Amino acid sequence: MFFDRITAFFCLAAVFFILTANTINKYDCKNTFDNELFTHQKVLPMDMKRNYYEDVQLVTSPVVFFWLILLFVFLVVFPFIVGNYYVYVANYIAINIIVAAGLNLLVGYTGQISLGHAGFFAIGAYGTVILMAKAGLPFLLALPCSGLVAAGFGFLLGLPALRLEGPYLSIATLGFGLTITQVIGRITLFGGREGLHAPDIVIGSWIIETDRQFYFLLVFITVLLLLGMRNLIRTRVGRAFIAIRDADIAAQTMGVNIVFYKTLAFAVSAFYAGIAGGLYAFVLKFIEPEMFTLMMSIMFLAMVVVGGQGSLMGPIVGAGLLCWLDLKLRNILDIPFLGDWLETLSMSWFSITGVSNIQYVVFGSIMVAIMLFEPLGLYGVWLRTKRYWRTWPF
Amino acid sequence: MKKKMMILGCMILMLFSAPIAWTEEGVTDTEIHIGQWGPQTGPAAAWGSVARGTGDYFKWINATGGIHGRKIVYHMFDDGYNPAKTKAGVKELQEGTGIFAWASGVGTSPGLAVKDYLMERKVPWVGPAAGSLHWVSPPEKHLFAVYPLYYNEARALVRYAVEDMGKKRVAVAYLNDEYGKNGLRGAIEELEAHGMEVVAQVPVEQTDSDVKPHVMQLRKSDADMVLLWTTVSHAVRIVGTAKAMNFTPQFMSTSTCSDFPLMNHISKGLWEGVICATFGELPDSDHPGMQQYKKEVFDQFASKDERWGMFYAAGIIFIEPMIEALKNAGPDLTREKFVTEMEKLTGFKGVGPEVNFKPFDPNDMYSRQGTRQTFLVQCLADGKAEKLTDWITLD
Repeated sequence: MFFDRITAFFCLAAVFFILTANTINKYDCKNTFDNELFTHQKVLPMDMKRNYYEDVQLVTSPVVFFWLILLFVFLVVFPFIVGNYYVYVANYIAINIIVAAGLNLLVGYTGQISLGHAGFFAIGAYGTVILMAKAGLPFLLALPCSGLVAAGFGFLLGLPALRLEGPYLSIATLGFGLTITQVIGRITLFGGREGLHAPDIVIGSWIIETDRQFYFLLVFITVLLLLGMRNLIRTRVGRAFIAIRDADIAAQTMGVNIVFYKTLAFAVSAFYAGIAGGLYAFVLKFIEPEMFTLMMSIMFLAMVVVGGQGSLMGPIVGAGLLCWLDLKLRNILDIPFLGDWLETLSMSWFSITGVSNIQYVVFGSIMVAIMLFEPLGLYGVWLRTKRYWRTWPF
Repeated sequence: MKKKMMILGCMILMLFSAPIAWTEEGVTDTEIHIGQWGPQTGPAAAWGSVARGTGDYFKWINATGGIHGRKIVYHMFDDGYNPAKTKAGVKELQEGTGIFAWASGVGTSPGLAVKDYLMERKVPWVGPAAGSLHWVSPPEKHLFAVYPLYYNEARALVRYAVEDMGKKRVAVAYLNDEYGKNGLRGAIEELEAHGMEVVAQVPVEQTDSDVKPHVMQLRKSDADMVLLWTTVSHAVRIVGTAKAMNFTPQFMSTSTCSDFPLMNHISKGLWEGVICATFGELPDSDHPGMQQYKKEVFDQFASKDERWGMFYAAGIIFIEPMIEALKNAGPDLTREKFVTEMEKLTGFKGVGPEVNFKPFDPNDMYSRQGTRQTFLVQCLADGKAEKLTDWITLD
């Protein structure tokens, strides 16, 4: 009950801020955020950067510092004020954020596409569990190792990607994603189709048993990876990725080594997916090849696109929203009157088996609507909101 | 337009039900809360009728007076056969609503994802809808398996083929996973007991679409009985290809392929003559219990597009022992009492095989594997079934 009031309050506040900002400010700043999106520079006067180090700074103003501290406090306090179930949901979302952030590097920054990220995710999950259970490595070593294994496969997949573009590349990556689970399923060491059980995580003398303990480990890793991503984008490497996305021939003319950077983008992206997969194995405590389906890859891609490609915020918001909707949308059937009506509607018109599937209809509609009205994804909404309130009340 | 969209989006986010707690979790003076997951969407949606069968069965129990004055409140959710969603849904219901016990639940991997969670909390769970050895090795105090082991089904079929039909050369085509291998193991052991060997072991992969090489192998072995331990579609394809190649041994198959009207339909009549093991009375049998369920549960409570088939009936078969134990536990229902009553079930006979549980023994898997009976049926021309044997008990 407590948590639901909090949610309600935050939602109302968010609606208020967003609506005010977006209704008034939609057109006059359109050019501004186009610029922002493609250069990642804050172009407002008060935000003007004078040198490189200002660009990589995490804390740019007291206001940002204040919100950062608040976010930090919230992340620490969160598992203590909500029930265990919400901690599990937060863990699930955090893992998806890591994958989405990694995939965004590929899709949003480098302009490539991947429908095979469930494959890297699976490699990370199996790698971590096997390195721990069979090779006896500690968790903190096994996780990055399997991330690197995934990165190795990412590098390999990056090689054909050099010659492929658009739909051809998506088919190639799709093939990879589908193949990898088949291969894993046939190797006895990997438990075949019977799957594997994840051992307990032990770090020093700290044994992780509850969702809450795992939450703190997970939040730490997520924040670390996101900061790493933020810095990577602002280095020479990140600039090279963006140059390749905007025009790869032009980039090559300017001296960007396309072979190196394209494969690197695949490798880094796969590394993130691998780390996330390794953590996912411990959320479920059990993995088997059938889990890593094509649908999973598509959802990862949807998180990036709905959130907003080519921004750090985008995948975070996208992963958060889509995971939340995926888990919770079926509760719309519990809304009085409307729920019953929706259920009847779906059972009589949308369903083959006569079973309600309205949550998927609504889920899909929300995604379509976001893309239709906000092509920049949720990140576009955020930019407009921020811009409006920065100059408020002028 | 955007405004409306935003408001709608946020309203959806806000409308999540409030959790309430009871003294004995999931039981009030008037209600017993029971949960189940089942895929209603996605690739495994065909199995979702198990969960719907259970739901209609509970409706019927409520309509006929409930259990000691309490109504069953059934919480079924769709996990789309995605274990992460299964775990999320189970946690949400368990920690939010408070579930007394979990009924059935489709699939090995969704079940395994929540098994540890439920067992740590000591929440009873009866009749997972998958014939996996994972449920009972090692046995868990609060987990009761009702689904017969594939291993035992294979033994019953092979025994019948060798002893009653005088078959000499038995070949096995099996799906290359736990399910298929359990069937293969049963066949090998039963043949060994008769001093015989499997003449051909042909693995089929989930993704194989052309079964000609497999059938060639079977024909080369000159088998007079072929045991099919594959998916429904592979089984049908093998029978069809064999017919086209003029290879006509006696085909036998598992309970997963025993939905004869369905099998007959998708094989275009080729399933005729195939012998299958079953995990319960067939939906269309003249068994009085099954007839009663069809008339009183299915006809009254099922939605209009529902089919009275094997999976739907399975949702009732797996849950009958649970209802029996709930009734026996009396008006002061606690989990401890319920588990004790489950353990006391011996020789319980509903529409499924005889159910026998024993007091918990960590070294005896049959203290939690309640069934080891099956019977054999043969498919007739119109998809009807002819009962070949009575219940066969395997030790």
